[in-house]
Amino acid sequence: MIFDCNAYLGNFFSRQIRNNTAPELLAVMDENEIDRAVVGSLSAIMYRNCQMGNEELAAEIADYRDRLVPFAVINPAYADWEYDLDWCVNEMGIRGVRAYPQYHSYGVLDPCCKELVQACGERKLPVTFFGRQEDYRQSHQKVDAPDLALNDLAQLCSEFPQVNFMILEAIGHGASRFVTEADTLPKNSYIEFSRGGVDELVSALGVERVIFGTGIPMKYPGPAFVCMELLEASDEVKQQIFGENLAKLLEV
Amino acid sequence: MLIDVHAHCRSPQEDAEDPWAEERALIARMDATGIDVAVVSNLSTPRPATIEGFRKCNREMLAALREFRGRFWGYAYVNPGYAEEAVAEIDYCLDADSDCIGVKLYHEYLICDPAVRPVLAHCVELGIPILQHAGYGHVNRAVEPHISDGSHITAASWDFPEAKIIAGHIGGGGDWEWAIKAMRSASPVSGADISGSVTDEGLVEYAIRMMGADRLYFATDNQTHTGVGKFRSAMMSDEDREKIASKNFLRLIGREG
Repeated sequence: MIFDCNAYLGNFFSRQIRNNTAPELLAVMDENEIDRAVVGSLSAIMYRNCQMGNEELAAEIADYRDRLVPFAVINPAYADWEYDLDWCVNEMGIRGVRAYPQYHSYGVLDPCCKELVQACGERKLPVTFFGRQEDYRQSHQKVDAPDLALNDLAQLCSEFPQVNFMILEAIGHGASRFVTEADTLPKNSYIEFSRGGVDELVSALGVERVIFGTGIPMKYPGPAFVCMELLEASDEVKQQIFGENLAKLLEV
Repeated sequence: MLIDVHAHCRSPQEDAEDPWAEERALIARMDATGIDVAVVSNLSTPRPATIEGFRKCNREMLAALREFRGRFWGYAYVNPGYAEEAVAEIDYCLDADSDCIGVKLYHEYLICDPAVRPVLAHCVELGIPILQHAGYGHVNRAVEPHISDGSHITAASWDFPEAKIIAGHIGGGGDWEWAIKAMRSASPVSGADISGSVTDEGLVEYAIRMMGADRLYFATDNQTHTGVGKFRSAMMSDEDREKIASKNFLRLIGREG
């Protein structure tokens, strides 16, 4: 089973995204033998009111819930976000949350971010952070969204040991606390590797907390598959990474 | 055949058990993913490179060609600011090894800077390709003030219409749509390689649409997963895939046969 933790629907503000409807995404998944995928709304990232993007996502995937697992984009610096979070849990059946401090103008260690993490923990939802949603060097002329600092994310994970975290689209894991302090940090972070580094993640974190994600349809799926192809590991280990770890985390 | 037109070797680590361990690892990744040849340059010197610096890099590059005969071809790296020495160095490297087939330029000068003209003119005379480190970012532009972008490559190609310039890594960070559009009207023998850490869906297809498949080259810049992954995933005809995989480059260096 291949379960992709890193997929999207909707539009991104800085460039055209193709195959961004549910049927089109499923076609890409079929082509690449991806069985299920976690999806979030790309449009929600830059909507002032993210919730409208979550509602669009709910409608878009209504007929495809067997393969598309929704995560909500929540901005804890925006009005009434807890109402939105509960709506997404109760009406949409989300299995996790995606947070974008770099686009929503708050810091990973700011009080509002910690409130979001706390709220997700109370609802048994993992919280996702993205090292980057796109390469900083190709930033839109009007948007300044530098990469998140992995050590800040590691700090946040250490302060909320009861909450699970998913770290996607990051680079430089090897020099971060996630790897250098892997033995002492709580075992509550799950890290995706489509931008590389799967070997060092498996060595440092153990196979159970490494998860497969492609970034479709924003990115080509190929690089994540090549990472798996180059990983020297047994088929059993690869099956864990390809899908079992994520299925267990999300209890689906 | 799959040729990686943009790769790097490093200085051999003489105190290590295997001085060529990194290169051997690269070749293992090439084997695993079906890459037959990587065209390497060695940039292991502080930049801007001194004459001694680029000479040392090239001696080590030539040693890598000998060590991994048939798997590596080479580019001679020069700082075009030292025009006379750079031209002599290119001749030295091409004479020293027939698998040294081109020139690598980094960011010491914009490729359209008058200082680069002697090197470009010499490469045209020899009929060899020039791989130019390139990128166009909207941010952090002060980090590499002399990095060439698509517009500089196009300008140089108009000055030297026969120059076989390859823009390095259109996915190497920066606005790849801008870069591709800026190179659309460059001379037909100039092109770009698809390497770089950016694996945005549509990048290769847009390059084919705007520049034409005849002007594109497969490459990894030593990031096997991003180079191979995007090339495998990109939608294109079988004919275009063969061109980008190796046919275009073999034609460029006169090794079609």
